Amino acid sequence: MTAATAPSSLVGGRNRAPRRTRAPWVLRAVGVVLAAAFAFPGIYVVWRNISTDADPIGLLRSSRTLDPLGRTMQLAVLVSLASAAIGTTLAWLTTRTDVPLRRLWRTVLPIPLVFPTFIGAAAFIRTLNPGGLANDVLNNLGIDRTFELRGLFGAWLVLTLFTYPYVYLPVVARLQRLAGSLEESARVLGDSPGQTFRRIVLPQISSAILAGTLLVFLYTISDFGAVQLMRYDTLTRAINTNYLARPSVAFALSLLLLLLAIAVVVGERAVVGRIPGDATARSTRLVEYRLGAWRWPAGIVVLAVALLAVGAPLIAMLDWAIDGVTRASRDGRPLTVDADTIVEAARHTLESSVLAALASVAAVLPIALLVGRYRSRSGSFSHAIVIGSFALPGILIALALRFWTLRSGFAGDLFYDSKALLIFAYVVRFGSLAMGITLVAVQSVPDRFHDVGATLGAGRLRRFRTIDLPLMAPGLLAAVGLVLLSTMKELPISLLIAPIGYQTLATRIFLSFEESFVAEAGLMAVVLVAMSGVLSWFLVLRRAEHR
Amino acid sequence: MTTAFTTVRPTAKRQAVAGRTTVRLAALLLVVATIAVACGNSDIPEPLDGVAADIYGGDCVALDGREVTIYSGRSENLMDPVLSAFQCETGIEAKVRYDSATNLALTLAEEGDRTEADVFLSNSPGPIGFLEQRGLLGELDADVLALVAIQNRSDEGSWVGFSGRKRVAVYNVDSVSADELPESVFELTDAKWRDRVAIPGTNGSFLDWFTVFRAQEGDDVATQWLNDMVANGAKYYPNNRSIVDAAGRGEIDLGLVNHYYNFQEAAAIGEDHRALNHDLSGDDIGSLLIITAATLVETTPHPAEAHELIRYLLSEPVQRYYTEETFEYPLAAGVQSAEILPPLNASGTATIDFDSLGGGLEVTLDIVEASGIANQ
Repeated sequence: MTAATAPSSLVGGRNRAPRRTRAPWVLRAVGVVLAAAFAFPGIYVVWRNISTDADPIGLLRSSRTLDPLGRTMQLAVLVSLASAAIGTTLAWLTTRTDVPLRRLWRTVLPIPLVFPTFIGAAAFIRTLNPGGLANDVLNNLGIDRTFELRGLFGAWLVLTLFTYPYVYLPVVARLQRLAGSLEESARVLGDSPGQTFRRIVLPQISSAILAGTLLVFLYTISDFGAVQLMRYDTLTRAINTNYLARPSVAFALSLLLLLLAIAVVVGERAVVGRIPGDATARSTRLVEYRLGAWRWPAGIVVLAVALLAVGAPLIAMLDWAIDGVTRASRDGRPLTVDADTIVEAARHTLESSVLAALASVAAVLPIALLVGRYRSRSGSFSHAIVIGSFALPGILIALALRFWTLRSGFAGDLFYDSKALLIFAYVVRFGSLAMGITLVAVQSVPDRFHDVGATLGAGRLRRFRTIDLPLMAPGLLAAVGLVLLSTMKELPISLLIAPIGYQTLATRIFLSFEESFVAEAGLMAVVLVAMSGVLSWFLVLRRAEHR
Repeated sequence: MTTAFTTVRPTAKRQAVAGRTTVRLAALLLVVATIAVACGNSDIPEPLDGVAADIYGGDCVALDGREVTIYSGRSENLMDPVLSAFQCETGIEAKVRYDSATNLALTLAEEGDRTEADVFLSNSPGPIGFLEQRGLLGELDADVLALVAIQNRSDEGSWVGFSGRKRVAVYNVDSVSADELPESVFELTDAKWRDRVAIPGTNGSFLDWFTVFRAQEGDDVATQWLNDMVANGAKYYPNNRSIVDAAGRGEIDLGLVNHYYNFQEAAAIGEDHRALNHDLSGDDIGSLLIITAATLVETTPHPAEAHELIRYLLSEPVQRYYTEETFEYPLAAGVQSAEILPPLNASGTATIDFDSLGGGLEVTLDIVEASGIANQ
């Protein structure tokens, strides 16, 4: 027997003949309700296509649609590949090796998730492009260099650096749950570390990699902030310029985006279905590799990613902020924000993102159980809806929510302009982020544990609490982290759905930046990054210490 | 080389992770709650300070229960001092939702007659045309309209301008010499400007400007100009701010933008910013004044408060604030534009018939998309 087939026969579970235990009816009912909640933006887009006589099929015959669509696809594929490679490599290095400073990296590496792309991309430009900060440094060293970040390469680089955490976080969570015994057996039987990784580790983390990469793909096709600043003309640019002049075209293009997303999600499910089972017993030992001579080169790789992904934008933001703070000494205009405003915005950001993160994981867990435990068809359908909606630009979710709440009478009046509605909108927007990891977490609990639990007379809830939750914890925590950091930067929903006057850091950064109040924007962006660093430490590093 | 790796066994066991997770999440919630309480709102009225005090220096009257809800496409940084002063001076509570004017216009269209908004403020004409086409704007009282010159208000009474932003050419002082600066946008199709000029091709204020361009010069001339610009290697940037930033760094030599952004950027960054605004000839389409406007939402239940707010925007202290502090052109109360702003000549405040912009935008977008500028 080769090592490649070893995991299935040793750990058992998922790839025996699929069991079709029927899910409890309560769970099925909850799944249907949740699917309906997540479907409303999609239904809105379809409805608007009908009500405005939009012609999505006709648009597909025009090069004005096909060219941006082609560029969107090209960019999304390239970013997905790069993010998958970088995210997986970083995850392995920081969980399984003795790479230098790995606790620091574990806190720093998720941070790019929190950069709103419009200011993140602008900060990259400010640091790296002609006349930028890096250029100044090089000029002082006597190097004349006129590199310009733009177009496909610029969009690819910036989006890869912003999105690799979508892969990194779930893979870290998965790696922490792998049974070390298999890896050790493989090593004892003479496999090199490379072979061990390929034959033992990779098959077991591939569903986590795929789930993360899917999010990268969907994020990339829906991004507007980075692609527009990199001047790479994609479908979202076309959607945005059409809203006012030709709403029907904007809605038709959005529908195409949604259909593309659903096709990709369904495709991913088909691929995942063929991946060898990855349900593993709870790991008591985590195999760790000593890199030896490769320790420092590996450290430099991690450092380079961190410097580029976090350092480069942060330098420009700090530069803007420092210019602003020292402005008074140059007789410049006083800042238009004060400490109170920033603290208030930070409080709103923290409050809404923590609630949204917890609610998101709670909302997708029933669907993950339906799909992962009971392989329910309706669960798979809900799953596709939840994830596919991630490709919709946030503004459409906000508009859809406005549309539905104002037409739903009593319930609409009750929730209009409430924080509950804001959290609900965040959950719809970012539940997709939690979905993939939560599903992987659910599937990492071997069926036979339940059989044993049931045999011993434990009820469903007790089994869930004592068997599932402990095993799923790292995955669920990673899901919380993903949603948390993403909500902190969210814009369209925060601007349009939040109770009136409820400003977050992201909205204040956006409003300042768009009107060229770059000092204020930079200052608050630095606060946002600092906050995300603390939260990241809280979620990631703290648990590492508990090991 | 792989022999450098060795496998080691970890030391500690992990136990009861879920329990600790729950504890940690609970702790996190506790932190949030504590901060929420610690920073809780206090309703003690405070006297105005800073810029708002320059607009209104008197004592604040108590809020009297009247309110007005504003959807503002102009940012909080520009509006907050004005609205604080308004609230303090009138006792009318000003509630604001801030976003881009486009997003707010789309929201208003979606909300229809159930919107909470009384007033919509836009920093460019396009969103107003969009709402006017859909019959979502109410009619302003004649005495409010009369506060501005006839070219700065709607014939139908649906909008009134309250500040202006002028189209200019922003240029990098190190790469463009003063004597080669153009007098007209038509010069920019010349070979000497090849690959040097930036256009915010799909930005709202550019589309509005180009619509007026079409109206004044005819579709053929306007289309030809844009196609020539593309053929001459004009570079696409998504908005005014990114062009001003690029000109300041020397990434581009010259760009067509609103005058406003370079003043802000210079105020923020100081001497490092190497770009200046250049006024094109007064009768050139490239020096058009674009108006930021206030409108009444058709279904407003608070027309009196809404009018009072709009009247306040057109009052002397606010107009002075807009030109002295935010570098815009005043439109009412006889306020002169700030000294650092280039003077507006007579034809500079040309009429923009943006009552027709809503419909005109569609054709504009056709021309702009066909030119391929967005992919430059």
